[in-house]
Amino acid sequence: MTDIMIEATDVTRTFGAVTALDGVSIEVPHGTVLGLLGHNGAGKTTLVNILTTVLPPTSGTAKVAGFDVAHQGDEVRGRIGLTGQFASVDEQLSGVDNLVLIARLLGAGRREARVRADELLDLFDLTDAARRAAKTYSGGMRRRLDLAASLVGRPDVIFLDEPTTGLDPASRIGLWEVVEGLVGDGTTVLLTTQYLDEADRLADRITVMSAGKIVATGTAAELKSQVGMRAVHVTLTTPQDAPAAVVTLEKHGLAPVLDEAKGELRTPVGASADLALVVRALDEARVEVAELALTEPSLDDVYLNLAKNKAA
Amino acid sequence: MTTMTIAPTQALPRWRGTGLVNQISILTGRSLRALVNDPKLLILSLLQPLIMLLLFSQVFGSMAGGANFPAGVTYINYLMPAILVTSGVGAALQSGIGLVTDMKNGVLGRLRSLPVSNVSVLVARSLSDLVRTAVQLIILLVAATVLFDFSPAGGLLGVLPAFLLALSVSWALSWVFLAVGAWVRNAESMQSVGFLAMFPLMFASSAFVPIDGLPVWLRVVATINPLTYAVDASRNLALDMPVGTGVVGALAASIGLLVVGVWAAVRGFRRPLAT
Repeated sequence: MTDIMIEATDVTRTFGAVTALDGVSIEVPHGTVLGLLGHNGAGKTTLVNILTTVLPPTSGTAKVAGFDVAHQGDEVRGRIGLTGQFASVDEQLSGVDNLVLIARLLGAGRREARVRADELLDLFDLTDAARRAAKTYSGGMRRRLDLAASLVGRPDVIFLDEPTTGLDPASRIGLWEVVEGLVGDGTTVLLTTQYLDEADRLADRITVMSAGKIVATGTAAELKSQVGMRAVHVTLTTPQDAPAAVVTLEKHGLAPVLDEAKGELRTPVGASADLALVVRALDEARVEVAELALTEPSLDDVYLNLAKNKAA
Repeated sequence: MTTMTIAPTQALPRWRGTGLVNQISILTGRSLRALVNDPKLLILSLLQPLIMLLLFSQVFGSMAGGANFPAGVTYINYLMPAILVTSGVGAALQSGIGLVTDMKNGVLGRLRSLPVSNVSVLVARSLSDLVRTAVQLIILLVAATVLFDFSPAGGLLGVLPAFLLALSVSWALSWVFLAVGAWVRNAESMQSVGFLAMFPLMFASSAFVPIDGLPVWLRVVATINPLTYAVDASRNLALDMPVGTGVVGALAASIGLLVVGVWAAVRGFRRPLAT
């Protein structure tokens, strides 16, 4: 088994006049998770489609599990699992029938297929719903069945295309735990997401895409240090107090930014001690606070920052 | 969720795919199972021909015995063999729509990520649709016999070949519609194009009235309408009337359509699903 399980070299894909992917190269070592971060239209799904042999690249090469996606499609398809917007389960069939179908198409005998299906349904808490048509499933159950479907063949590499978009928080965390379990067992994962926290939680390395290009790559910590830090958002009861608040915070060595339109004061905080500092400073200055919130850097912050760095 | 033991393990069997014949039979089974689980499509597609049987046998029933009409034949016996053919055409359109639906709802996307041949997917769909159409036509025949007193002169030995002929025409056309679906990839436009094409084809033919009674321009259209030949052949078989070269012609046309349909469907379907 090769050490690099996913390797794309200078992959470009155009649709007519539109360039969806422009010279993208990635490498994912065995047993690790790469998070592809980007907004809609950044090219994440196109890259996943190329790596899963669903779409041929216009130029460039890609290998998955050591096989060329353009020329050894069946070898690749026998070793991967795909979950996402593009690949789904059959709504007319029950959960168990969906999984049996996939196992049989992969070459399992009737009984083996059934055993495998039951095993996965059990692992994903779907045993009670196994005989119901998939169209009756809730969003979270549906996503778990999708993920189970992509794991039937015990794939070496799984591709998760926005696996938690539209899920409620509990289902989201449940799915994360499943993915962490898979990685712990040696599966290589490529995950696309629009959420920095999801990439942060799951990915060993994060690649940020924008308009078909890779704009940054690194660990979550590296990206965050580029982005800057968490920030405290303060809304004042009396907007007229704002200048005084800015002065006070600056005196304490902080760097507040005033958004006059929103009447909001945004102060980046590094260490957790800074959070208390903001509160204390405002209290000392007798500035009345209507609302206070701590925000993590978002994908937008990453983008804004990358744009800023480029301009500089 | 419990601890995972589902990642690749050397000790466990690895599945890498299966042969074409297996793929086709598994996928055909899948479509048939979906049909059994949700027979809505089957019931809905029976509705139109049943309503046509009811309406036409009442509205046009008095035509039997008139000029241009074969002597001694009741209207239901005249109508039913044509309904077999037109229902087969409608069922063929459903094939294409079913393919497009599978493209949209992600089922074909899943299959594309598995070691499954595109040809298997198409063949399986056309086979399961063949079974669906056969079931549909048999139900129609039973309904026509029980409810509308359909009892053609040819008897069972005449109706059986008429049924098989309608089925072959339908199967050939289903490949044409699979090809349209594989290229057009939009259920709404397929539905409207199919509807627009079917109605003139059905009415400007010998399906409901003898073409000799039609206005001249319509008679010209009906004469060049391939459906007329399929309807005539099916009717002559059922009514035990001289068939001539009708059956051979209808079968030859079906084979022609089949070859073109298969070729175009495979080419169209090979294109990537994602855009």
